[in-house]
Amino acid sequence: MGGFDFSNHNRNAALHAQGVPLPKATSTGTTIVGCMFDGGVVIAADTRATSGPIVADKNCEKLHYIAPQIWCAGAGTAADTEFTTAIISSNLELHALSTGRKPRVVTCMTMLKQHLFRHQGYIGAYLVVAGVDPTGCHLFTVHAHGSTDKLPYVTMGSGSLAAMSVFETQWRPQLDKDAAVELCSQAILAGIFNDLGSGSNVDVAVITADKTTLMRNYITPNQRVPKQRNYKFPKGTTAVLNEKIITKEDISKYVTVHELEDDSKTATAEVMDVDQ
Amino acid sequence: MDSLVAQYSRPAHADEGQSPEEQLELLQVTPELSLKFALPPVSQSSSWLRAMTDDYSNPNCPIKIAHGTTTLAFRFQGGIIVATDSRATAGNWIASQTVKKVIEINNCLLGTMAGGAADCQYWLAYLGMQCRLHELRHKRRISVAAASKILANLVYSYKGMGLSMGTMCAGVTPQEGPALYYIDSDGTRLAGNLFCVGSGQTFAYGVLDAQYKYDLTDEEALELGRRSILAATHRDAYSGGFINLYHVKEDGWVKHGFNDTNPIFWETKLNKGEFSNVTAEME
Amino acid sequence: MAAIFSGAPPQGGPGYSFNQTPRTAPSGLRQHHGFYPYTDNGGSTLGISGADFTILAGDTRSTSGYNINTRYAPKLFKIGGEGPDNKNARIVLSVVGFAADGDALKERLDTIVKMYKYQHGKEMSVAACAQRLSHILYNKRFFPYYVHAILGGLDEEGRGALYSYDPVGSYEREQCRAAGAAASLIMPFLDNQVNFKNQYEPGSGTGHDLQAKVAAPLPRDTVEELVRDAFTSAVERHIEVGDGLQMMIITRDGIQETLTPLKQD
Repeated sequence: MGGFDFSNHNRNAALHAQGVPLPKATSTGTTIVGCMFDGGVVIAADTRATSGPIVADKNCEKLHYIAPQIWCAGAGTAADTEFTTAIISSNLELHALSTGRKPRVVTCMTMLKQHLFRHQGYIGAYLVVAGVDPTGCHLFTVHAHGSTDKLPYVTMGSGSLAAMSVFETQWRPQLDKDAAVELCSQAILAGIFNDLGSGSNVDVAVITADKTTLMRNYITPNQRVPKQRNYKFPKGTTAVLNEKIITKEDISKYVTVHELEDDSKTATAEVMDVDQ
Repeated sequence: MDSLVAQYSRPAHADEGQSPEEQLELLQVTPELSLKFALPPVSQSSSWLRAMTDDYSNPNCPIKIAHGTTTLAFRFQGGIIVATDSRATAGNWIASQTVKKVIEINNCLLGTMAGGAADCQYWLAYLGMQCRLHELRHKRRISVAAASKILANLVYSYKGMGLSMGTMCAGVTPQEGPALYYIDSDGTRLAGNLFCVGSGQTFAYGVLDAQYKYDLTDEEALELGRRSILAATHRDAYSGGFINLYHVKEDGWVKHGFNDTNPIFWETKLNKGEFSNVTAEME
Repeated sequence: MAAIFSGAPPQGGPGYSFNQTPRTAPSGLRQHHGFYPYTDNGGSTLGISGADFTILAGDTRSTSGYNINTRYAPKLFKIGGEGPDNKNARIVLSVVGFAADGDALKERLDTIVKMYKYQHGKEMSVAACAQRLSHILYNKRFFPYYVHAILGGLDEEGRGALYSYDPVGSYEREQCRAAGAAASLIMPFLDNQVNFKNQYEPGSGTGHDLQAKVAAPLPRDTVEELVRDAFTSAVERHIEVGDGLQMMIITRDGIQETLTPLKQD
């Protein structure tokens, strides 16, 4: 496992002491929750990522894959939750391969807490770990400093108080699957509407003994209203100092050029999620 | 002890509404340019104010006050040229590109604005009032020396309180001829032929000092003023917007436009071959 | 163990040097001055003036930190007119920043404008009101109102008039102005769509002969659409803006007030 490069630490500390602001990391202001039910466990998250008061991503994914039957919801610094879960995911896979057994949720939780404790809170990952393994269904929270909890229902992130108020009023023992999904999504909605750090849509993952169902954008209560005016600019609106035309023949010396079938089609490798 | 008890046992509504002084103030007809300012209830009000509003010593200060930027004025045979840019910044934010930094105190006196926009606007308006009162009292126009001294004495009385202004007073009077004074919030008051004030002052001085002579024609002088501000807007990020040009003559000032820098820049570059550091060509 | 968890990531801790949580007081201030009388209540306002009207708008959310204080706290106030509900008023003040200072400022200006009418028997002009507001703000130069104010109305010729202010009273008459949390998102949009900044007339010339598009006062329905689009877009990208859009349109027939819902997340 690679370590961290601390060579800039002293320089940055000195700059900070002189009043240079540190760069802003994207944080997932976030509401994340988890809830056990008879025969499985549900986790859910909102989809807003913020950088200070600005929404950096309106529809990000905060539910991370660890193993087929173990998933993790992350709050805190976006990069830290992403990479921590990825590291643990690959180590758990290697562990499962060498033992020849299905990975266990406690194993995952222990690896996470040891990793986070070693870094003394500098890795800002706040996680809800949920999964089903041969020993049963499990639900944990892991904090950035390495402490963990095991509870029947949990919430984390800046919207945790709003979400917990829903659990504390509506949770009851022996929920069935649909009731647990409903309860979790209600808790996330409470976070979305009452916490400024959380917003947009509800993502839910249901883990049972036989399968995991990821319900991306399970509820979308915050669709953008259409714009009233059209902001297309006529060609030639922007001033141009100078122009240079590079022909297909010229550019094909450096890259491979493919012809499109007709002008209406555009070559897109990946479709971006944008407002129309 | 009794006074202590009394202090905490007065009825809760005692502090509500306006005090008799406040009510009287609201009743006053004239929106007076008052010299009574509200102060925060702390012992060191100037350092408190600095912590709240000085974005230079504290970039995270909650109240960002708009600042002004490149201004210049110089005396020559045909009178005085006054030129400014028009940008106001609050921290890194360009608050406005259309600020009028030349303040018309009366029809033959001009003031310029650098530093705190509100300080300059308010105190130059106050100066205008004092100048008019002087006219009424003495039946003749105030001299530029006297006007600038009113301002200098005024800001000096607020020294250390946090005012921020660097201003020039330009005017022509029969007794003085064309007169130019620089006054700043430290209390400095200087008479002179040529001043540039603001964060872009060095860039303006560069052009102005190189080409200035007293015998400039009116046209040459206006062009020099314009070109100096252009140089400042080109190199100083806190200057920009429009070029505001004035010519102060014996019979009062004349305005010579409020023009966008961008077309002036390209005209200067393309027609006069200056600014060869900027390229319009590719590669 | 769970007791140490405080919802938001720990503030000022060594692990959270990239502190994202909005603070009530900027860090570093408190150790020097125990006196911090301001809170930023978020939100945004904007104003655009036309040929014979002025529109002011503001969202109605009030925040502190990551919490919503209320979903309906108006930032637009009628100034002058008659009685406590300002009947027949022709001037509107919008304030954004610290709501308590905003309220105090509105109260002050309203009283003064009403007193003016009792004493002079005529309405205060917007130009006079604008200057008076500047003086009210400057009177607290050494203990400022933590607000960005915008004042709107119709001038003596019946044209739309809009004045914008900094916290200590420097002011200027403008075509359009955005203030508050999302000002940096809205103002560039307004520069482009109202004053046609960076827009040129297609085909009006080549290279340096290309003519800039000339700004002219926009019709009322266009301005209303621009205001709505500015706010629905600001809501998408700024967490402190949302819940409701309050608009006041000042014409020679009076002030027309509308309230439209915005997203609540």
